[in-house]
Amino acid sequence: MIEVKNLSKSFGEKTVLEDISVVFEAGKTNLIIGASGSGKSTLARCLIGLVAPDSGEVLYDGRDFLKMDINEKQELRTEVGFLFQGSALFDFMTVEQNVRFPLDMFTKMTLKEKQQRVDQVLERVELSHANKLYPAELSGGMKKRVGIARAISPKPKYLFCDEPNSGLDPQTSIVIDNLIHEITVENEMTTVVITHDMNSVIEIGEYILFIHQGHKAWEGNNHDILRTENKEVLDFVYASEFMKKARE
Amino acid sequence: MASFLFHLGKYVILMWRVFSKPEKLSIYRRRLFDEMVSLGLDSLGIIMVISIFMGAVITIQTSANLDSALIPAYTIGFTTRQSTILEFSPTIMALILAGKVGSNIASEIGTMRVTEQIDALEIMGVNSAAFLILPKIAAAVLLNPFLTLISMFVSIGGGYVVAMMTDIVTVADYVYGIQLDFKPFHVTYAMVKTVVFAFLITSIPAYQGYYASGSALEVGKASTRGVVQSSIIILIANYIITQLLLI
Repeated sequence: MIEVKNLSKSFGEKTVLEDISVVFEAGKTNLIIGASGSGKSTLARCLIGLVAPDSGEVLYDGRDFLKMDINEKQELRTEVGFLFQGSALFDFMTVEQNVRFPLDMFTKMTLKEKQQRVDQVLERVELSHANKLYPAELSGGMKKRVGIARAISPKPKYLFCDEPNSGLDPQTSIVIDNLIHEITVENEMTTVVITHDMNSVIEIGEYILFIHQGHKAWEGNNHDILRTENKEVLDFVYASEFMKKARE
Repeated sequence: MASFLFHLGKYVILMWRVFSKPEKLSIYRRRLFDEMVSLGLDSLGIIMVISIFMGAVITIQTSANLDSALIPAYTIGFTTRQSTILEFSPTIMALILAGKVGSNIASEIGTMRVTEQIDALEIMGVNSAAFLILPKIAAAVLLNPFLTLISMFVSIGGGYVVAMMTDIVTVADYVYGIQLDFKPFHVTYAMVKTVVFAFLITSIPAYQGYYASGSALEVGKASTRGVVQSSIIILIANYIITQLLLI
């Protein structure tokens, strides 16, 4: 479980996040949604320490991340998996080497054990055949799946996914969404997905936090969001004329 | 001035992180060998080509400028050797490598920065500065002295080829000249310079690449800054080391 208490962040005069409090439960797919520039990516970056918040607390199963020293933070980060928007695969490594990298760095597993784990996660994301390829040889969807495989190979307790569907076609997006959801349930992980993709919201949104102009504007799940009367949420969900007419 | 101090401080802090304890030595060892191939062995060809012509040109130019009958012909060999060992092999090679290796390092690390690969390392709990930069610095510091030694031999060999193929100096005079009054300390001095320059041509472009931000355009600018700054600082360091060791 990740608990955020009264988190605020400003860049100069501009307040990006203000007094955000939220609980992301384990075994659930938690979504942070909001328009571009609403502060959702900054929130995720504050949670994993890539951006230092001005105030507030971030508790990983009761452990305050912001009060940890650099060594404690590095240790906690070994329990965190992160899927980047652009996948961020290491160009100079093959798919297999990318997935094995966290195991090489932080485990005392034997080569055979590491290979078994790599084979297992690549099979889970249906990429066993691509293990010797380099990132430049992969499609967008394959890169995302390798990113997921790398993120889950060390069996993390927490998984963050930043815009996992950006640049993907609707069908591939659903495959990625379902994969994230299934892995979350299988491994009892606390998963936080930053997205503005409405398909993801409807498909896998067990908990949804809606951020509007740096504030927590709404929270609920994928059933509640279709029935809410919250104006900001309605403007976001039913942004197009087609969706407005469909709702009417 | 404030900007210079800001960047100097940032560079020192980065180097502090680079030389902190590695997470897993076996991984760093593997990366060190990769970098030795990429930064060192892959530069061997260009070093040899430049060195042979450099030695040949020094020999011809020295000969062209010695038109007094009072100056013995073996001075040509002596001058070629001294110029090569003291200045051309350590300094000119460092400037050439600053262009070749420096731009490679800055663009590689800069691209990793803008494509979030460095963030990925940090989130995994890897000291990205040490993981990416330390093997490059170590590879250059370990291998560049050998490149400089090879450059010295090839450059003096280039002069020998000129002696053989032309009549500006006899082979016997040239060989006598390159052996005359040889001071081993001059090679030590060249090695000291090479090690310092190796550190500069890897760490400065690495700094520029590591703090690149934005787009591919910014990576290109960081690469240019890395090469220009390391070249200027090599020349300044060259002056300081020479003043300290030779006077």
